Amino acid sequence: MSTLECVCSGIPVTIGQIHKEQRTRAPKGTSCCLVPVRLLLFVVLPLMLCAAQEQDAAVRNPADLKNLTLEELSQIEVTTPSKAPARAFQTAAAISVITGEDIKRSGATSIPEALRLAPGVEVARIDGNKWSIGIRGFGSRLSRSVLVLIDGRTVYTPLFSGTYWEVQDTLMDDIDRIEVIRGPGGTIWGPNAVNGVINVITKDAHDTQGMLASVGGGNEEQGFANFRYGGGTEDFAYRVYGKAFTRGPESHTDGRNFDDWRAAQTGMRLDWAGRHQDKFTLQGDLYDEEAGESVQATSYTPPFSWIANDNALLSGGNVMARWARPLAEGNDLQVQAYYDRTNRHEPNFGETRNTFDVDFLQRLRLPARQQVSWGLGMRFSPVHDIEVVSGLTFRPNDRTDYLLTGFLQDDIGLVDHRLTLTLGTKVLRTNFADLSLEPSVRLLWTPTGRDTVWAAFTHGVRTPSDAEENFNLSGFLGSASDGTPSFARFNANNAFAPEQLNGYELGYRRLLGRSVYLDIAGFYNHYHDLFDEEIAGSTFLETSPAPAHFLLPAQFRNGLRGATEGGEIAPEWRPTSFWRLRGSYSYLHMNLGKSPGSGDIGTAPIIEGSSPGHQVLVQSAIDIKKTFQFDLTYRYTSALPGQNVPSYSTGDARFSWRRSHVEVSLVGRNLLQPSHFEYGGEPGPMVAIKRSVYAKIAWTQ
Amino acid sequence: MDPVNQIRLRQRRQYTRRFLRNLAVLLSLLAGLWQRVGAADEQSLEYQVKAAFLLNFAKFTEWPSSAFRSADAPLSICILGDDPFDGVLDQMIRGEAINGRKLAVLQIKRQPRPQTCQVLFMGKTQKDIRRTLADLGSGVLTVGEEESFLREGGMITFVIENRRTRFDVNPAAADSAGLKLSSKLLSVARTVKK
Repeated sequence: MSTLECVCSGIPVTIGQIHKEQRTRAPKGTSCCLVPVRLLLFVVLPLMLCAAQEQDAAVRNPADLKNLTLEELSQIEVTTPSKAPARAFQTAAAISVITGEDIKRSGATSIPEALRLAPGVEVARIDGNKWSIGIRGFGSRLSRSVLVLIDGRTVYTPLFSGTYWEVQDTLMDDIDRIEVIRGPGGTIWGPNAVNGVINVITKDAHDTQGMLASVGGGNEEQGFANFRYGGGTEDFAYRVYGKAFTRGPESHTDGRNFDDWRAAQTGMRLDWAGRHQDKFTLQGDLYDEEAGESVQATSYTPPFSWIANDNALLSGGNVMARWARPLAEGNDLQVQAYYDRTNRHEPNFGETRNTFDVDFLQRLRLPARQQVSWGLGMRFSPVHDIEVVSGLTFRPNDRTDYLLTGFLQDDIGLVDHRLTLTLGTKVLRTNFADLSLEPSVRLLWTPTGRDTVWAAFTHGVRTPSDAEENFNLSGFLGSASDGTPSFARFNANNAFAPEQLNGYELGYRRLLGRSVYLDIAGFYNHYHDLFDEEIAGSTFLETSPAPAHFLLPAQFRNGLRGATEGGEIAPEWRPTSFWRLRGSYSYLHMNLGKSPGSGDIGTAPIIEGSSPGHQVLVQSAIDIKKTFQFDLTYRYTSALPGQNVPSYSTGDARFSWRRSHVEVSLVGRNLLQPSHFEYGGEPGPMVAIKRSVYAKIAWTQ
Repeated sequence: MDPVNQIRLRQRRQYTRRFLRNLAVLLSLLAGLWQRVGAADEQSLEYQVKAAFLLNFAKFTEWPSSAFRSADAPLSICILGDDPFDGVLDQMIRGEAINGRKLAVLQIKRQPRPQTCQVLFMGKTQKDIRRTLADLGSGVLTVGEEESFLREGGMITFVIENRRTRFDVNPAAADSAGLKLSSKLLSVARTVKK
């Protein structure tokens, strides 16, 4: 799915094109390519600032530019990655792009923290190594309704429907950008993109040449070290990286301090250009972590129920190969395949999963201004679950989850490239659900080069997962007077249906002059067959598993329906060439209720109360000469009654000084109070997120 | 070593030499620039580079004499509609001459009359490019900055690739307008439409 599909589709066309264009090589025999490689490798990178200074030179002295050769002109960088919003400008979807530069300047040390920069995304830190993330509502520990991809590899797991954010990592400096699409993206991106898609895209190996090493530490980020080396030629480039960190616990009133975190990760990427402008990419990662956690454990034997504070042992790796061939203008094809392994050993359960995935995509330009994209994909995911406590089991223990998808989309230019209609659908089948369709209709109108108006209707599907269909979760209720324990258990429900969404969206973007960019989007989402928790019968005496106990049967069912509405306003302003301001305000109203006949036991108010109604972000980035950077971020999040979290405002600051190869930075996060709550969600007293400060020194060659 | 490799090696040496020369220039600039405040305005840099390209396109194109009003008429670079260059182009052509012709920059609001413009730049905000191109007579080198520009009948279009300015060329369109694009221009182009 994903970057693959991203090359094709309505939303993704623009995005895909960036990706594609980035590495299209000049034709063979064109000598200019010799220059940049030399330039990059031996001259500019070592000098760090040269390229920038060269640009400065050009700006001050246009007359000098005219004396450069065509080749030399072709090598001047005229935009920075932060220009990406301009690319997203003509997209019929609510897309925002967090660039590598944005991430660096926010001081974020993890992907979830970086996501705070995107409008409409709710990020709440549960503890030191866990987050609740949602887009346009439905925030949860695993972000059930958000599809997450890293370089086209789906990291959304069918285990509990969602993404284990604590194991999604890479060298932050290698992230080219994170594209966040709010609203359903299933037609193009794949199932479970019900409320949005998060697409992490790392840099091409040609853009990470040379050496990078950084170390740092502080009160929470106790110590971290990153290393990367990249080399190669004009056609072939590679990089290898390694990183490790240790992180302290957040603030605990009861002193349990369970959420410390240590991790190490390594990886590589190769990019090379073959004949016929073919492009090959091979990449992979390996990681190993210990992430402390506190979980409720239940067993049918005494002590029946306890809170386990222990480390989750998490490890895994992946390898991916991608081949893309441009055939002619607007025509290309791409094939990608990956293997991904994850091992989880938590205090109350364990899982080992192997995922094999192959995707094919073709884009064709047809007469009458039509661009057709189609693709096929399949994924097999054999899994082994390890039972640790009898109160949390998967039946069967060994299974193979699978997903088969196909999609077809047509972009039709209606009026002289000013009005584009995009029609498409995805067809999918998984081991949990019969054939489902995810159709969409999008309309894009660009009356001038400076305005874009778009509208969309999309049908999205969140496919059922192991958590609903194969999962049995017990809770201890107490003991009767004769000592017989009493439990409630959510029994596996293999009739769980896909959750459904009909999404209606409208958006407007405008460039005002050269320095102001405005992006407004509104939505109305109507859901049915949403997940809820229901009592499934009356209490009875169960003898297996032994010993005998009273059991109240319960089940996860599709008992909720309702609607959400809201919108986001995201302006960006460059008052001067060295000062950039961006901000966003996100509004959300959720109104969920029981479907007729539903026996929901109170899921709706908790879901409604776990996403903020109002969020504000303001980010300021100032460059002082080429030497200093000063960045400030302010964040406001309204209360989460479902999690007993009051509203909070906080801020981050970063100051950096750079000279030649060395950059020293000082970062403070959550500065406005000693600690604040962001989310509940764990047994025991709530964890407060601390004010944190770290210093970092980076060396680039 | 085979001859091809030798040539490549020689080319590389040449580039390295040119490189060191550029480096020396850069270093001297660097010393002065260190004191200056602020980063470059990227938008204008993009158009400064595009302006320099326009000048180069004119250098690497041959016009028939019928494309000019007279033997001493200037070679005019016309900007149709909004001017994104902010005066940079005027600055750049000052004192320049191509094949003995002076250069001029004209801002025009509508379809140019025959023999007025030898280079016609149509920016992003331009509407109805297809029609403008269709109605244009011969002898005008057309330059755009949208990917669709060549499809609509244009000759050269700018593309931003990997944060750098590149261009695609459609030599057939130039041919049919009586223009000859040098092989140098074609060799530096990102893609040449067949």
